[in-house]
Amino acid sequence: MESMKKILIVDDETDIVESLKFVLDASGYSCYTAFNGEDGLKLAKELVPDLMILDVMMPKINGYKISRLLKYDNKYKNIPILMITARSQEEDKLIGEETGADEYITKPFDLDDVLKTVDKYLKKED
Amino acid sequence: MIEKYADLCRANSYELQISSNAKIIEEMLEAENFDIILLDNDMPEGFCTNIVKSLKPVMEKSGILLLTDKNEIPKELLKSINAFIPKDFTDDLILSALNINLRMKGSLQKLANTNKDLAASLYRQNTLYSISSQFAGTLDKSQLLEFMIEGLDKALSFSLTCTLSFCTEDEPVLILNSLYEISDELLNAIKLRTVYNYRALFDGKCAPFELNENTLKVIKTVKYPASRFNFTLFQFDNMFAPIALGENFYGCVEIFKEAHFSAEDAKCFQTIAQQVALPLRNATLYQEIIETNKKLERLEKLKSEFISIVSHELRTPLTSIKNSLDILLSGKCGDLTEASSKFLTMAKRNAARLSGIINDLLDISKIEAGKMDFHFKPVRIQTVIEYVKSALSGLAKEKSLEVVIREGEQLPEVNADSQRLEQVLTNLLSNAIKFTPEGRRITIKSELLNATDIKAHPCFEETIKKLRGNYVVVSVEDEGIGIAENELLHAFDKFAQIENSLSRKVGGSGLGLPIAKQLLDAHNGAIWCDSELNRGSAFRFALPVDVTAIEKEKVLSIN
Repeated sequence: MESMKKILIVDDETDIVESLKFVLDASGYSCYTAFNGEDGLKLAKELVPDLMILDVMMPKINGYKISRLLKYDNKYKNIPILMITARSQEEDKLIGEETGADEYITKPFDLDDVLKTVDKYLKKED
Repeated sequence: MIEKYADLCRANSYELQISSNAKIIEEMLEAENFDIILLDNDMPEGFCTNIVKSLKPVMEKSGILLLTDKNEIPKELLKSINAFIPKDFTDDLILSALNINLRMKGSLQKLANTNKDLAASLYRQNTLYSISSQFAGTLDKSQLLEFMIEGLDKALSFSLTCTLSFCTEDEPVLILNSLYEISDELLNAIKLRTVYNYRALFDGKCAPFELNENTLKVIKTVKYPASRFNFTLFQFDNMFAPIALGENFYGCVEIFKEAHFSAEDAKCFQTIAQQVALPLRNATLYQEIIETNKKLERLEKLKSEFISIVSHELRTPLTSIKNSLDILLSGKCGDLTEASSKFLTMAKRNAARLSGIINDLLDISKIEAGKMDFHFKPVRIQTVIEYVKSALSGLAKEKSLEVVIREGEQLPEVNADSQRLEQVLTNLLSNAIKFTPEGRRITIKSELLNATDIKAHPCFEETIKKLRGNYVVVSVEDEGIGIAENELLHAFDKFAQIENSLSRKVGGSGLGLPIAKQLLDAHNGAIWCDSELNRGSAFRFALPVDVTAIEKEKVLSIN
């Protein structure tokens, strides 16, 4: 059996991480999770996942920064990144900076939409 | 001869001085005012004509009587004298001539005095008049007090004014306008006196402002700093008045003058002090309005920021709720009964509604804070209409509504942010779907109109009036419940969702139309509606035709 695609979910909101993981696991993906930016970045480098779902506003290292760091690195730049945003004022301040994210999902999002987007990136090779 | 007159005068208690020395006469005239001058013509040749030169300056004040028995009198003398007394007059006749001249002189003096008073009074009236027009011309409190002091100077020419003001700065200020320099000791005494006067005004009752002579701020203007006042200043005549209007107290003013103030001076002083109080109150009210406005603006901004932060904080928990409901409804956690499915669907529908409201709140707060970004480019309105129609076709189908597009011919492009246009049209169409009973029809019309051909309900006259040139006008016409005329005016007000049972039932944030209005304002367009109760409503918006696009087309067609 072909190995399952690895997805890394990074968000400090554990409830959101859990619901994403539930749906993606059920669709046959293998999900890994981290609850802050630091752990998320470390795990991303260790794991080299097939796709990442990143929350923008997180303590210490925010999602934009993680995305930027990974996209500058040849080793990781091909990992598709889905960015979760809440359209907050703090986020507005960060807009305009190069993030390199591939997709944006606005809270509150539809799990079905997330699943479709993930499938778009990971199932096209099948 | 002269002795005869001397006796006569003394007998009738007139004071008398006699001299035959020209030099002494000159000095006497300089030192004293004489009512009558008796001049004897029977003096050495030329004496009288010479004396007339020294008489010239006193001629207006004194009557000159010439004692003579000559028939020829030098012309010089004739010009200056008031009467002749022949030398052979009896005592009675001489006395009556003296009396008549004295009386006449008295009358003239009285007339001159009255004239002088009249002139002074006229001058004062003029000053008062010019002060009042100055008062009316400004709302600056410091300037009002300056005008008052200027006016006091013109009307009363003071030595010193001490104006205590509570209304021009954050702290009480003592404004001194002095003719001469004031030493520190004298200044301390003036401060003490001012504080005492101020407290005395309230007669033991609590004064409206705290006042301490040690910390009292002083603004001093000195006209002639080379000289200085000493403590005799306090022996000068002085007047004091509060500057107040009803319960509003603005300060007080004391005025010093070396000469005496007349009763009329006092009246004038009181009038000026009273007159300044009214414009001071107006200025205070004006300032309060400005401050209140600033506060309101600040609050408005705070409110927008607050909404934005709260909306963001609501999004995250709402996402978790939605996700959980989605997972349960997907059946991935086990089969659902019909009832649990029904209630989970209900929860999901309301979570979606809540997220719609949060989005609207965020939008309106962003627009009001001026933070909404627009990406303008030439847009084909037909594309927007078709997109929105297909996006909402599911909703329309649920209610078996027919959505018809009636497209105008050869519509030019508009310069717009297509996403925002979709937002506006989505809002209008979903409203129409909500408010139209099942099985009816909704029409989306688009046409090219000149501003002069655009007609709207009288409620929106102002909205239409500002339009100039050509517009693409899009209308969403429904066959719904309609809007009553008195509610039409408020259709685009924030949170003013037109109240009736149906609007309650269909829900919504009440922000959709205000957002649409703001978005169209940003496009230099307009939005309005026509409606008839129970017949249906037509919501219309106008977008200015992209002029550059038309010109490009012209160039193309010429080529």
